[in-house]
Amino acid sequence: MIISDTVHLALRNLREAVLRTALTSLGVAIGIASLVGMVSFGVALQEQIVGNFLRSGVFDSITVMPGMPAAARNLRLKTARRELGAATKSKGADRPEAAHAPLDDEALKKLAALDRVIEVYPNIRVPVEIKYGQFSEFSGAVGVPMSARGEGAFQNIACGQFFPNDTGDDCMLNLDFARRITDEDVKDLIGKELTLGFANSVNKGQANLIEAMGGVSFQRLEKKFRIVGIVERQPGLGALAGALSPVMIPLAKARQMGTFDVSSPQNFLRTLSDKRTYTAVTVKVRSPRDTDEVEQKIKDMGFGAFSIADALRGQKRAFILLDLLLGLVGSIALTVASLGIVNTMVMSILERTREIGIMKAIGGSDEDIRKIFLCEAALIGLMGGVMGDLLGWFVGRVINFGANYYLQSQGAPGANLFLIPWWLSSGGIAFAMAVSLIAGSFPALRAARLDPIQALRHD
Amino acid sequence: MTIALETQDLKKHYSMGPVVVRALDGITLSVDRGEFLGLLGTSGSGKSTLLNLIAGLDRPTSGTLTVFDQSLASMSREELSVHRRRNVGMIFQSFNLISTMTALENVALSMMFAGVTRRQRERRARELLDQVGLGGRQLHRPKELSGGEQQRVSIARALANNPEILLADEPTGNLDSKTAREILAVLHELNARDNKTIVLVTHDSILAAPFVRRTVTLLDGRIVAETRL
Repeated sequence: MIISDTVHLALRNLREAVLRTALTSLGVAIGIASLVGMVSFGVALQEQIVGNFLRSGVFDSITVMPGMPAAARNLRLKTARRELGAATKSKGADRPEAAHAPLDDEALKKLAALDRVIEVYPNIRVPVEIKYGQFSEFSGAVGVPMSARGEGAFQNIACGQFFPNDTGDDCMLNLDFARRITDEDVKDLIGKELTLGFANSVNKGQANLIEAMGGVSFQRLEKKFRIVGIVERQPGLGALAGALSPVMIPLAKARQMGTFDVSSPQNFLRTLSDKRTYTAVTVKVRSPRDTDEVEQKIKDMGFGAFSIADALRGQKRAFILLDLLLGLVGSIALTVASLGIVNTMVMSILERTREIGIMKAIGGSDEDIRKIFLCEAALIGLMGGVMGDLLGWFVGRVINFGANYYLQSQGAPGANLFLIPWWLSSGGIAFAMAVSLIAGSFPALRAARLDPIQALRHD
Repeated sequence: MTIALETQDLKKHYSMGPVVVRALDGITLSVDRGEFLGLLGTSGSGKSTLLNLIAGLDRPTSGTLTVFDQSLASMSREELSVHRRRNVGMIFQSFNLISTMTALENVALSMMFAGVTRRQRERRARELLDQVGLGGRQLHRPKELSGGEQQRVSIARALANNPEILLADEPTGNLDSKTAREILAVLHELNARDNKTIVLVTHDSILAAPFVRRTVTLLDGRIVAETRL
């Protein structure tokens, strides 16, 4: 029997029982709709959370710190070697230049030259005294690279804008901080000036000198910065921790100002040397997938490095589990629907027993009969799957609309809580057909095994 | 003259609870090619059972049954279905047409199982319906046809895959005597003109007599009489 004839025959059989076919398909459709709806909710949720993280620039950046002192690293290598039980010599330990890699401008160049690295910039936090009118507070000003425009915490600028360029005396404020320094609307701060007082090491013999440790001289300087933007405080990690700082200034400015670092005595001493070094450097890679490889390369260079890619991996796993769980819940309806298919098919076979007998008497083989019924089941699955996709999409739209309406009425930003990627819609149809085939296999086999003489006597 | 089908001590027993019904109890029979055989007997004599065994719809309990030198007893289910569509064409008392299909579709259906393309089978179905005198009623469903017309569709269907043997089980049982004679005349013509081997099961020996060449009478699963006409 030709396959197209089988499909043709199956289709005409389904047409003969339009209502039953429609109802059974609807059952499958509801099952698929709930499955697709559930999984798409999971997918959208994942997109919301992981996507946000990805855009935050956390996962495509690696934080690099100066290398560990040689002694500490050697100890760790020895332990590692013991654990591995390998007699091979470690390259890193024997390389003197890697013994204690400082994070200086030369190191920055080397990092930038690495494959798949798109940007390297130092993390600079300048200790400052912030003054605005009567307000005065000691804090830190963080240098923000121009490339951070539109990323992470800078995706949503509450008011104003990002730095127009990295040479101007412009600054951005954290929203919470902005609220603290003014009683009026924070919007009015835009365009106003803020004074940052900071220290600078200078040559001896200049005015305003402060004698400090080790005979180093500092000069207290003050500089006015124009407030250009206010960012909402958002969870930002690593490279963009700047968003957590009250004041942000262009990175180039920070580099000019932050000639010394008091974050630790070690760093402080380091800044006093001729060669400029940094406490931490952010390395941005092309995509989150590249972090592992680049991170390892940086470690091989003798630096300390970490990224949050591991956290992402854990989260991915959690979302796969969530999708699976949602899928299982969605599958309950499909299970019920599959029982509906079995029922429909059994009924249909009972009704068409005589017809099956006739088909066998005029030369239909067991296999022909089985294929016709399996084909019917698959067609019910196909129709149910397509209808289910449409239904799932429609219901999802409605729920999404409702949820967004609620979110917006609560003053929260809207979110797309419903996402049907192509693999889900086509997978939904394929799954519907697979379930229908499984459900239909038993009735189809029963039909194929019918005794023709008994079947012919059947009324 | 070659032999179309042959049976040797063919038995078919059914268990009805504790009772064993001997539907066929040792039938030895040979049918030549091109023969028109009448299987006579009262109801329950086993004539339909014998026809079903020849058709390959059922399997014998013991004995041998060969059609064109092939033993049906040793055939698999799949092989039996091939036998049904290649070697034999069945005609039933109750016509057994599929009610949702037109006359044309009913005739074409058996060719569908044989893997004939749609275009070819529709052409042949038209030819066959013309041949049995139903040229204008191809698109009618069984309900819209008279008993005689339905039986003609059924004969056309039996001929679809061009089998050598036609097995007719009381084909006139549901028809009035005039229509019955017309149907038997169609079968007779198929036998005379196309040399089809026909086994006709009937309880009406008088009606069948003008058409068949030999009758075999069964009673309680045994052959009790044989007549050449």
